[in-house]
Amino acid sequence: MRREGVDMGGIDTKRLRQIVGEEGVRDAPADLLVYGSDASVHQARPQAVVRPTTVEQVQQLLEYCHQQRIPLVARGSGSGMCGQTVPLRGGIVLDMKGMNRILEINLRDGICRVEPGVVDDDLNRELKPHGFFYPPTPASARIATIGGEIANNASGTRSVKYGAARDSVLGLKVVLPGGRLLELGGRTRVASSGYPLERLFVGSEGTLGVIVEATLRYVPIPRFRCLGIAKFDKLEQAGDAVSAIMAAGCQPSMLELIDHVAITAVNRAQNLGLPDVEAILLFEADGMVREAVDYEIERLTHYSQEAGGFGIESSYEAKERERIFAGRKKLFPSLSNFADALASTALADDMAVPYSRMAETARKIHQVAERHGLIMTAYGHCGAGCMHTKILMDTSKGEQWRAARQAVAEIYQWVRQVGGTTSAEHGIGISKAAAFKEEKAPLLELMRAVKAVFDPQGIMNPGKLMDAPDDWLHASPLRYDVDNGEV
Amino acid sequence: MARFSRLARWESTLNACIRCGYCYEHCPVYKATRWEVDAPRGKLIILHELLHGRLEPDDYVAEKLFECFHCRRCEKACSSGVKTLELFRDARADLLDLGFSPVGTTSLTDADRCAVCLNCVRACPHEARRFDGTRVVVDPLECAGCGSCLDTCPAEAITLGRNFGTAPQELDERLGHLYGDGGPRPRSVVFCCAWSNYPGLQAARLAGAGDDGEVAYLVTACAGRLSAGTVLRAFELGAWGVLVATCQADECDHGGAARAAARMQRLREVLERLGLDGDRLQVREVGFAGAAAAAAAAGEFSQRIRELGPWYEECRT
Repeated sequence: MRREGVDMGGIDTKRLRQIVGEEGVRDAPADLLVYGSDASVHQARPQAVVRPTTVEQVQQLLEYCHQQRIPLVARGSGSGMCGQTVPLRGGIVLDMKGMNRILEINLRDGICRVEPGVVDDDLNRELKPHGFFYPPTPASARIATIGGEIANNASGTRSVKYGAARDSVLGLKVVLPGGRLLELGGRTRVASSGYPLERLFVGSEGTLGVIVEATLRYVPIPRFRCLGIAKFDKLEQAGDAVSAIMAAGCQPSMLELIDHVAITAVNRAQNLGLPDVEAILLFEADGMVREAVDYEIERLTHYSQEAGGFGIESSYEAKERERIFAGRKKLFPSLSNFADALASTALADDMAVPYSRMAETARKIHQVAERHGLIMTAYGHCGAGCMHTKILMDTSKGEQWRAARQAVAEIYQWVRQVGGTTSAEHGIGISKAAAFKEEKAPLLELMRAVKAVFDPQGIMNPGKLMDAPDDWLHASPLRYDVDNGEV
Repeated sequence: MARFSRLARWESTLNACIRCGYCYEHCPVYKATRWEVDAPRGKLIILHELLHGRLEPDDYVAEKLFECFHCRRCEKACSSGVKTLELFRDARADLLDLGFSPVGTTSLTDADRCAVCLNCVRACPHEARRFDGTRVVVDPLECAGCGSCLDTCPAEAITLGRNFGTAPQELDERLGHLYGDGGPRPRSVVFCCAWSNYPGLQAARLAGAGDDGEVAYLVTACAGRLSAGTVLRAFELGAWGVLVATCQADECDHGGAARAAARMQRLREVLERLGLDGDRLQVREVGFAGAAAAAAAAGEFSQRIRELGPWYEECRT
């Protein structure tokens, strides 16, 4: 498996081994394939996978890559859905899971410091005995790393109340191409001192530098959580309920919409017996005082009912909440079970729209899908304005891919038209780049200029965000095998 | 495609895997290395590419496919419904047909040391071992790497190819770190079964204990494989008590829960003869219960151990 010396497409693996040790470098074809794939439709092969364990090693690697102009993609667990960690231009994949220490939990200051490879759930397990949690909570928290979450500005079911990764980051240590180590932000909750550069790295998808340490804030675990479910005969009614709830100033800690396609898939995959209706809303309120939670739940119930919701139930019991929520937690992986021979593809997977346009957007998604002979689902953290979809299709058919491309374009055109945005929390990567570039057209030059300051050689995750190819379908090989190779 | 005739029937399944990576959480092999090629998703990516001719099979690929404890955790957890165990088995059979002879996590017998007593053949719960007339052979498709055969061999001729943290030497090493200079010197050591309760306990690990040198969790392969020597080593280094957390006896794929119970009972009698309280060494059938049940078992045990105090004090009295 090991090859000696120089020339893995210009990469000196001997030098890499000097930096991170023999065990820290992988270049067998099988490793390269695995590290060239994530949860997106894309794949590409790097020339080497390198696992640093210290900041100094990251500095040396970035010095080397900068000098040699070698592309470099930092990667957590590779759970991204848009191809953020797919090494479009080859080079080195930096596996950050070797840096997975929780460095500090400082209860007096209310902060923690972690290395980027710490898994979200692991951090939460450490915080729990102290009565705190780290709030972004994406559904993938069981495997997603803090570094990856920051680089994507990830959020999750509770973002409606607690915000995204961006709202939890106080400070970052980053290494720039060339090896320079920067400390950005700090350890305080507020800082009005100049440009908040630490925030620039949140959502930068590894295009500026490598995050090697994060200082994060955390929040208290509420004493009471109550989870409710409401059924709707019409998707629009569920969308209207979201809009009404948020317009009324309710403060849910979770507000999730699940449409009938997702309901069917979850029921088939997990036999959970979710109600067979066009849409359901899951809502949660939390707080330290029971009366405050009761108040929120009452209002959430009221506005759901007013919009046409029925069969509404809610529970404070942990077991019951777990039962109700089980379907949502595993929704994404369940989607491939909607129908035989249809695979769930992460396309047009994530967007945000204003509350008032939620209902129309959900309906629009289904209309576009139908017009193109596809099946799509609409679900998401609607309380935060977030809408997720997936395209379910026969991935072996070229015409399905072409239809998907058209559907994705139409959906994003709609999203722009109603004042929404290309990505709520899944990042841009490759598959959302075309829509992103259209949405941010007047800003792309500015973004490129910013990148050039940090990464003058353009080695950091090249071909992503504003520099991504316009046609995602042909930007990289697809992970699926298409008949006749024709897309 | 003819090269992978068995694997070929899984093509749509390989597509249905959405590569979410949620299986990482459950795989004892991946947890030991955190290299993604060792995780179920990694294996599925490799198989997809083998099937479509974008990856050539080689010794490394074959080894990776045979590195698996057959615990089924990935399969049980997969919401995309990927039947990993059957799928991997077919791929392994194809690789064997192609002439690869990987070792992976399967057991090996050193023919030079083997006295052909056939203890291991009788002990194997998977009928993976047989006598071919001249020597003991192992069917790599059947061997689950449980290690049930290991200490039935009087000649110590059996080893597992790769152990991923579960080998006696590796456990000794972990114990050395725990009780070495600057180590947390936990009062209790819990040996967990990689098949059933380890992921659950691991999930609970940080929620209750561990911060104050209370409990350390070590993963063994099948609990039936845990040797008396390893348990004694924990005591020798300074542990006040040892809990062996096994599967439920009627759920254990390898008959290991019953073996562990019998072995630890014998050891407990030895400890008692030495004047130690028998509670210091306990076996609990934790099984596939969730994190809370697993943590509760460990919590109860560590409470009892705190009451007992250090064993060396007990000896003195």
